[in-house]
Amino acid sequence: MENIITVENLKKSYGRHVVLDGVSFSAEHGQIIGLLGPNGCGKTTLIKILTGLIKDQTGVVRINNEEPGAYTKSVIAYLPEKTYLPGWMRPIDAINYFADFYKDFDKEKAMQMISRFGLDAKQRTKTMSKGQQEKLRLALVLCRNAELYILDEPLGGVDPAARAKILELIMENHAENATVLISTHLISDVEYIFDRVLMIKEGHVIVDSHVNALRENGKTVEEVFKEVFSYAW
Amino acid sequence: MLGKLLKNELKHSGRYVATIYAVTAAVIAFMAIGILTKITWIGVLCSVLLNFVAIGVLLITLISVVKNFYDTLYGAQGYLSFTLPVKCSSLLLSKVLISFFWIILSYLIAGLCVVMVGLNAKAQAGEQISGLFDMLDVSGLREMIPSGATITEVIVLLVVFVLLHILTLVGFIYFSVTIANTRPLQAHPLLFGLLTFLGSYGVGYAISGKLTYSLPLSIYVSTEKIGLVFEKMGADSEEYLFAFGIGGTVFIALMALGLLFLTGWIMEHKVNIK
Repeated sequence: MENIITVENLKKSYGRHVVLDGVSFSAEHGQIIGLLGPNGCGKTTLIKILTGLIKDQTGVVRINNEEPGAYTKSVIAYLPEKTYLPGWMRPIDAINYFADFYKDFDKEKAMQMISRFGLDAKQRTKTMSKGQQEKLRLALVLCRNAELYILDEPLGGVDPAARAKILELIMENHAENATVLISTHLISDVEYIFDRVLMIKEGHVIVDSHVNALRENGKTVEEVFKEVFSYAW
Repeated sequence: MLGKLLKNELKHSGRYVATIYAVTAAVIAFMAIGILTKITWIGVLCSVLLNFVAIGVLLITLISVVKNFYDTLYGAQGYLSFTLPVKCSSLLLSKVLISFFWIILSYLIAGLCVVMVGLNAKAQAGEQISGLFDMLDVSGLREMIPSGATITEVIVLLVVFVLLHILTLVGFIYFSVTIANTRPLQAHPLLFGLLTFLGSYGVGYAISGKLTYSLPLSIYVSTEKIGLVFEKMGADSEEYLFAFGIGGTVFIALMALGLLFLTGWIMEHKVNIK
């Protein structure tokens, strides 16, 4: 099967600070991949490169065999960690905006989802709580029938009770045969949905393994993570 | 996709200028009531207000062009804009066209404010103003006024020049904001943006001013017509009333176009969203 993500010898520095130093990995269609690592290890930089937000890297990056650009952006549904919707925008405006630009956006499903989330379609985002904004952004991403979903800390701003619900939504709503790349530090909450994990340390991929292979040793992903990044605990 | 970008850009940027345009419309409507009802104090009050409003429209539009460009590309909303499935050049073009539109509209509205102040003045002192036109006949100056067709051509030319200078302004603004948001400078985007703008705009217009006078490329105006002439500005001739140099305008327009291409390249290759 052709890879949806191909990354070879990827390097990226900010001045003298090397963030990614020869990262290589690939991902097939239909996998749910956990991108794990402590703060500042280069997860967000890697995601920004995959989504085409950073271009001055070296190495090979291909999404569906194409370099990041207008085409790859059309097949990636990206949930940044940041709140990026303007304050004046209401859920209905955001839905229309996404429907305008993404052919794979399901407007009807989005309306149903925001209703299910208890969001008011005509409430401005600036008057919404952080959790409500996060739900809206998640709905916008999950209502796309994308080939690759990249979710940067999707559980960061929500309470523990809502996390399981959000994971359930991600599992239910991502397009069939799509790949989901989830960056998170809340490993114990999420690890049961992963097929595979990538752990990044000091700009290198130090663990690239299927979750079942890790569990064969009787360890959870979180335990492996704690072993690998013991200095951080 | 460009159509969709334009639609959304218009909708987004319109929010910045909607209030000042609403205020302008209200003051103009109030003044029209004053003129029609011949209530002097309304006209006087609105004339004063319209002077401020005209300046306000120009200033607020300019500020909103800068702010909208920064917010939607290099602020948090950049995550939305730069992940749209469009080329950076389309993104930039849509912003240039809409900013161009708002600045032209602000000029027109400022012009309308001036016309309204003039109309009010005419309504209040009509005889004195028509007396000025009579003076033209007495002094013989009316014979030196170019024909109607020539005046129309001059006006068209002036409009083209104004449009070119607006495009130039947009080009310099976008370039400055973009440069200030590259990684080495983005810690102080306002400072570096302002410095880049003042520096590039100052240098650009200094060269433009020099070329306006020194390049043998001018447009002449006679009582009969206008046309292109390969002479320096101000060269004496009996064939035309005056000639003004266009070398500087051509240079500055080309420079702005070059800066816009450079802006597109930086957006495509060097920008780092915070």
